[in-house]
Amino acid sequence: MLTINSLSKSYNKGKNFALEDVTFNLKAGQVCAIVGESGSGKTTLVRLIAGLERPDHGSIVMGDKVIASLDKFVQPEKRKIGLVFQEYALFPHLTILENVLYGISKIKHKRKRAQDMLDLVGLSDLGDRYPHQLSGGQQQRVALARALAPEPSLLILDEPFSNLDTMLRTQLRNEVFDIIKKTEVTVLFVTHDTQDALSVADEILILQNGKVIQKDVAANLYVNPNTLYVASLFGSTVHINKNLQHAFRCPLKETCCYAIRNEKIKVSPSSSDTDCEYITTAQVIKKIQLGESIQLLLKLDSGEQLTVMTQDKNIADTIFIGFNSTDILEFENE
Amino acid sequence: MKQVGNKDEAFSLKTRIKRLKRDSNKWSVFTLAIVFFLALPIVFIGVELFAGPGESWSHIVDYLLPDYIGNSFFLVFFCSILVLVFGVSAAWFVSRYEFPFRKQMEWLLILPLAIPSYIVGYAYAGIFDYGGSMDLLFREVGLTFIRIDIMNRAGLAFVLSISLFPYVYVSARAFFLNQANNLLEASKMLGVSEVKTFFRLMLPLARPAIVAGLVLVLMEVLNDYGAAKYYGVNTFTTGIFRSWFSLEEPQTAVYLSALLILIIFVLILIEKWQVRKMKFTSSKSNSKQIQRKPTKGIMKGFIFSVVFLPILLGFVLPVVQLIYWAVLTAATVFDMEFIMISVQSFAIAIASAVITVFFALILIYFSKWSTLSAIKNISRVGVLGYAIPGAVIAIGIMIPTLALDKWLINVLGNFGIDSGLIINGTLIALLYAYAVRFLAVAYNPIDSTALKVDNSIPDSSKVLGVGNLKTFFKIEFPLIKTGVFSAVILVFIDVMKELPLTLILKPYHIDTLAVKAFEYASDEMVMEASIPSLFIIFTAMIPVIFLNKLLIKK
Repeated sequence: MLTINSLSKSYNKGKNFALEDVTFNLKAGQVCAIVGESGSGKTTLVRLIAGLERPDHGSIVMGDKVIASLDKFVQPEKRKIGLVFQEYALFPHLTILENVLYGISKIKHKRKRAQDMLDLVGLSDLGDRYPHQLSGGQQQRVALARALAPEPSLLILDEPFSNLDTMLRTQLRNEVFDIIKKTEVTVLFVTHDTQDALSVADEILILQNGKVIQKDVAANLYVNPNTLYVASLFGSTVHINKNLQHAFRCPLKETCCYAIRNEKIKVSPSSSDTDCEYITTAQVIKKIQLGESIQLLLKLDSGEQLTVMTQDKNIADTIFIGFNSTDILEFENE
Repeated sequence: MKQVGNKDEAFSLKTRIKRLKRDSNKWSVFTLAIVFFLALPIVFIGVELFAGPGESWSHIVDYLLPDYIGNSFFLVFFCSILVLVFGVSAAWFVSRYEFPFRKQMEWLLILPLAIPSYIVGYAYAGIFDYGGSMDLLFREVGLTFIRIDIMNRAGLAFVLSISLFPYVYVSARAFFLNQANNLLEASKMLGVSEVKTFFRLMLPLARPAIVAGLVLVLMEVLNDYGAAKYYGVNTFTTGIFRSWFSLEEPQTAVYLSALLILIIFVLILIEKWQVRKMKFTSSKSNSKQIQRKPTKGIMKGFIFSVVFLPILLGFVLPVVQLIYWAVLTAATVFDMEFIMISVQSFAIAIASAVITVFFALILIYFSKWSTLSAIKNISRVGVLGYAIPGAVIAIGIMIPTLALDKWLINVLGNFGIDSGLIINGTLIALLYAYAVRFLAVAYNPIDSTALKVDNSIPDSSKVLGVGNLKTFFKIEFPLIKTGVFSAVILVFIDVMKELPLTLILKPYHIDTLAVKAFEYASDEMVMEASIPSLFIIFTAMIPVIFLNKLLIKK
């Protein structure tokens, strides 16, 4: 449905690249989340796809049509892509209904279509209000209705929930994706929050420093992360460096990089209680009660510090920790 | 397979050319065309330099040029000192202290801008004239031996300063009000005195803002013709007029214009250098405005006087003098012809305001829609006209249009058509000149309101399937209306006041109020000049007050 081919973009004539050699494709009907920190190139990528920026290299193909390449550029207004901006970008001088009508002035029964869209997002009665009279969450849904009204073949959501507080965020995220599921549109969903991505996306694409690090289904990203960075995005992870290898007496290859998820590190009061392959002793420096479980800040004999979780309330000052070789994550050296 | 480095390839010459081909659109071409059109008068001055100077050039270089240069530097130097004293002190006191009538004075200080410098000049000439108000006053108190002659370059420097200081006042005040609070509080917490805080902290920090205002003043000083002519001071502008009208040597006028452009260019370079040196000044405005200090006793009286003095000198005294004259001359001046001139003035000012704003909008939005990044920078060239004195622009338009008309007369003559002058000496040339000269006046308020509209707004319109032009009319224009409106008003005022360019380019059967006032004054009928002057002042005053409200809101 959408094919991106070695796409590059620089804002300073090639000194730095906001996006470098990005290649991936998207199947119709899929929800794909693009995850990355700020500055990783997420927004540049969606702006290129929407036609709001022009690529310095590479191409974008939608369906069987090239919409951007070195020789060709289809104007954003001709691309049939829906875009919901982070700041919603509702037209402040138009009513809610006029905002939704804006992109569908040429279709038949546009009023009915606009009203249907407002019904879909649950704002049927607010059509004659102005954007500033609405709450953040309501504005968000208007932006969604406006983007969906022209029946785009691709819908892009650019960090749509980052302006909202956590409580509202989860609720609205679920609502928005319930609405989107009904329309069966293909979705690109940009976020810096892995929880957002995990809860709605069929596939997740990880961007770092303008490059695609990994694109996969959520479960695979957890089990088989490509890099330490990806691993740590989906749960806290400990890099098993030289000192730790020595402490746990687990000889590993030098050419690779290894890590273990914190939750895979097992805590036991004595060495005989554990069935782990690699064990070491640790001093408990600090205990933090986090609801049911307790977070322990530990110090190893080698001086390394690390944190583990346990359910055990009677923890001694010196404990044994360990893990199994099957839980070790292995990466190419970075 | 050998992988070609995408990074290197993306900025290889071949890809660049491909992209240039992909990204040049009609907007880029239109922008370039408009910029060229607006820069044309200056280009012609440059081209004409190659034709060599006129016959009297060596005479002028020997006898008059030293005078032009000497007087220009004298005016630049003393006007700088005076406008800094008036403008900065008033700005600091109204921003920092609370005293009686502070709110009223805050906008009264802008009113001198409503009076063109040459009219202030006429008024002061009257005030200090033999038998004038000052003379009568001195005689009343028995000081008959005091005669102050202001019809010289010192008097001219005073007149120009007192009418132009608000440029410095406005930019300095904007800085003091919006940017200075945190630093001021920090200085207070460190126990530094008010006076020291002002000289050691506020003044250096406000320097870029003050210099920006000062450069505007100096451009106006070098642009002035009416006051310098009346005070008998030889400057570059009076020299250009003399070569054009008396000596009838366009080439000499061109050479003087080029020299004047050079001087202004140096001034702008100094400004840029000043601002760059002060780059550490944060441009982020602190949300909190400065806290005003209450004043007591002598301090209160002192601050009140310092702030009121420029209002008195720059507005009250000249206007009172003009009203006095107006009462004396109303019967003779106010007739049908005068009403016609007023109507013409208004019509010309409105027409050129609309045309200029139209060009400004085109320049701003076309360059935005052009996807080549270089175009945006090139578009700024179109704004340079404001730095070029009106007389110079007029010469830059006069010469090519005369040549073009001559050519047209020849060509059409071959077909037996007697066309006469088509462009030169018509309203077309005049309106074109106004647009070149005042484009920046329209450009800046529109550009700053346009910047406040987040890019995502027009972007989302485009993604919804609506093209550039339609997006502009349906979305952007409604959102920048206030900016466009203030731009129209600002250009309107400037055209109403404009003198040198109008004198050179106006069609001979058309007069403006400014020209009429100038003609009366030149014909030794300065009292009669008061009524057209007051008309200009009052039309300019209403929008100045209105615009100040906008400024304060900002």
